[in-house]
Amino acid sequence: MTGGQQSGNPNPVLEMSGVSKRFGATQALDGVSLTLHPGEVHALVGENGAGKSTLIKIMTGLYLSDTGTTSVEGTPAHISSPADAQRLGITAIYQEPLIFGDLTVAENIFMGHADRGRVVRWRDLYRDAAAVLAQLDIDIDPRSPASVLTVGEQQAVEIAKAMSQDVRILIMDEPTAALSAHEAQQLFHQVERLRDAGVAVLFISHRLDEVFAIADRISVFRDGRHISTRLVEQTSQDQVVQEMVGRELDDFYLHTQRQAGEVALDVSGLGREGVFDNVSFTVRRGEVVGFAGLVGAGRTDVALALFGIAPATSGTIAVDGNPVVIDSTRTALDLGITYLSEDRRHRGLSMPMSLTANVSLPTLRRYCRRFRMVNRSEEQATAEHYRNRLSIRTPGLSTPVGDLSGGNQQKTMLAKWLNATPYVVILDEPTRGIDVGAKAEVHRIVNELADDGLAVVLISSDLPEVLAISDRIIVMRDGSVTATFDGKTADQEQVMNAAIGRQA
Amino acid sequence: MSPPPDSPRTPKTQSMAMGNRLIDMKSLLKVGGNGSSPPGVPSGPAARISPERLREVSLAGLIVLSLVLFNLVVDNYISGRFFNRVTISVSIIALLAAGQSVVIVTRQIDLSVGSIVGVSAYVTGDMLTAHLGLSPVIAIAVAIAIGAGLGLFNGILVAYAGVPSIIVTLGTLALFRAVLVNIAGGTTLTTSALPDWVVNLPRNTVASVGDFDLRVMFVIALAAAIVLQVLMGRLRWGRRLYAIGSNPDAAASAGLPQARLTLSAFMVCGALAGLAGFMFLGQYGTVNVTAGYTLELAAIAAAVVGGVSIQGGSGTVIGAFLGAVLIQILDLSLVRVPQISEFWQDAILGGLILGAVVIDVIVNDRFRRRLRQRRRDYGIRYA
Repeated sequence: MTGGQQSGNPNPVLEMSGVSKRFGATQALDGVSLTLHPGEVHALVGENGAGKSTLIKIMTGLYLSDTGTTSVEGTPAHISSPADAQRLGITAIYQEPLIFGDLTVAENIFMGHADRGRVVRWRDLYRDAAAVLAQLDIDIDPRSPASVLTVGEQQAVEIAKAMSQDVRILIMDEPTAALSAHEAQQLFHQVERLRDAGVAVLFISHRLDEVFAIADRISVFRDGRHISTRLVEQTSQDQVVQEMVGRELDDFYLHTQRQAGEVALDVSGLGREGVFDNVSFTVRRGEVVGFAGLVGAGRTDVALALFGIAPATSGTIAVDGNPVVIDSTRTALDLGITYLSEDRRHRGLSMPMSLTANVSLPTLRRYCRRFRMVNRSEEQATAEHYRNRLSIRTPGLSTPVGDLSGGNQQKTMLAKWLNATPYVVILDEPTRGIDVGAKAEVHRIVNELADDGLAVVLISSDLPEVLAISDRIIVMRDGSVTATFDGKTADQEQVMNAAIGRQA
Repeated sequence: MSPPPDSPRTPKTQSMAMGNRLIDMKSLLKVGGNGSSPPGVPSGPAARISPERLREVSLAGLIVLSLVLFNLVVDNYISGRFFNRVTISVSIIALLAAGQSVVIVTRQIDLSVGSIVGVSAYVTGDMLTAHLGLSPVIAIAVAIAIGAGLGLFNGILVAYAGVPSIIVTLGTLALFRAVLVNIAGGTTLTTSALPDWVVNLPRNTVASVGDFDLRVMFVIALAAAIVLQVLMGRLRWGRRLYAIGSNPDAAASAGLPQARLTLSAFMVCGALAGLAGFMFLGQYGTVNVTAGYTLELAAIAAAVVGGVSIQGGSGTVIGAFLGAVLIQILDLSLVRVPQISEFWQDAILGGLILGAVVIDVIVNDRFRRRLRQRRRDYGIRYA
């Protein structure tokens, strides 16, 4: 290691500049630059979709960047595979550790790099693993199978693995998200230890207090762009929050004036053990209630409980004033509650099937005639109706929906659930991964649904979106409701502060 | 049924009568972990109990138990003759099961081994008929090479073309058989045309105790399984096979050469099937285009009963070997129990296989759920 440790600027260990990456219609990264110095903890913050994960994947060789250059210790580097990254001393640790559950801790530490020689010398392997673990003050038996460890312990094993392979750049992606406070504290000790050993740590976290406690420098990303990089002493949490959300409202966000009707959904003290707790809110007919919060705050879990996929274990739900117990998707549908999943591919649509087949799937009984044969022409008439009403662009009604663009898939999903004549509609990240034009159309449709008297619940991590189309905003954090705002008066920073648990 | 294989955390839950007995046996045998603890290494629960070892010991226990039970029901059950029948007939399946377990550990499957046995048996037999003086070493080497070559073909398609192994080997199951039909063209090799040493192979004995013979074919199968077990457990290659089956994503990020490892697993499996083909030739003498038909199913069944997880990442070659022995004993013993009709014989074997898989899945599932629940708990406590 050359250059002074803490004084000024030692030579950077990693320099990336002008890095761009595009996925279909989405520009995930747009000419970003990042410099890491040995012996620094560099925090990378930004909203969901800011491009942090994409950058990590480029650094670790899982993605190739479209443009841009990377150099490691002053030498241009071409990282085209995880093996390349490993050779350059770049390692990443994720929220969900990548662990071989069937193998022992010792094997996990040395797999792929330090399993020297063709013959495994178990004795040496365990001894060396014990030495690495002891060096890090990690009290784990190197012989135990990795699958029995807690997530925190598995991360510790990954840190031990990184240490054992002479890591120079360690990326930690939301490492504390699944840890207890005590485990997180231990993790920070490890991070400090690594820093003192001259490792450059890239620390990604949504928890700003954490970031300010441990980082030397902070870089903010927004919408795939690099916004700023500052020494931690030269910035504040307020400034960082501002830079994270600092977006002007787009023109197409329109607040329409609506008259809210009677209470359609009344949720009180709803909880599911270990997931979310004591969530209460009401949604009126003709009202859009937005749920803001970070990924993992429990918003989707509340939706899954209301839709009967993962029923609540405490609290009460009333639909139209009548107390109900929702224990299955069937019950929810019968009550007129529908849910549009954030995960189109896995929970939302059957990709190889046509628009027609997808739209009629939940309501197939309606189209059944004699001998339970499906009346095809009626089915197609319905599909045609929604194709026009929601302006779904498809080459034909029989085209597999997997071939449509993200926005049109989203509208297909809307058609599918609107056809079930719902009463309460829960939309989970309806505009994720779709382009700006399609986004505006989805917003228009959401407004129309409310105008038609439906009760709409909108879960979105896109703050301007939530602010623009919600009549009321509920903020969740770590499984609880932390704040409620009026949609017309709330501002981004207030909502963001409530989402990351910070008193403004 | 044998105790859950993959739950090192809950050895106490294995409180079935069988389980208790086995744990006692285990402590007597002082197995578990991987050798004794070196000084300075703390010994946790894992150092005392290895789930895979437990599975092997429980299989051995089941084998003993079934022998004892049949001995109560059948007169003159345990005899030298019966022992020799079992050890001879198990040799081929055991070899195939050993090879199959190497593939299954990597989260793949090889359905083509029965056809490989057929091709290897016929081609080697044909060659021996034409050159009666051919040395046994060359004949066996040819059989193994044929198997390895066909395994290479499977492996290239799976590892480099990225086609799921169940599809690839379903295709080659038919393809290899069709090749054999073309080569053989309806002819049958007969015992009289083969050299004596091949025909006498099943009766070749290494050592005998009374009527109990240790036959060469059984010794070959056992030796192959032991060697493979050691290679899988002690070579970097073997441990990496477990790794890619355990978590392919982690294997990718650790930079393991997944394609090359997968290819090697199929080649090993093919090579053992080739050797099994040679033993088939010796055991049956008459070989036609149906040689080895449906043996792949028996091999997979033996591996699964032997505790090789169909989800990859865990299981041992010795386990698969013992699974083959257990199935073979049941197969040959149930016939001798007059009260059990032929239908029930198949049903019992089928039930055994189902039972083994169901236990495997349930244990795995419960295990994973517990792990996930714990994660959730921690996530909440953070606040």
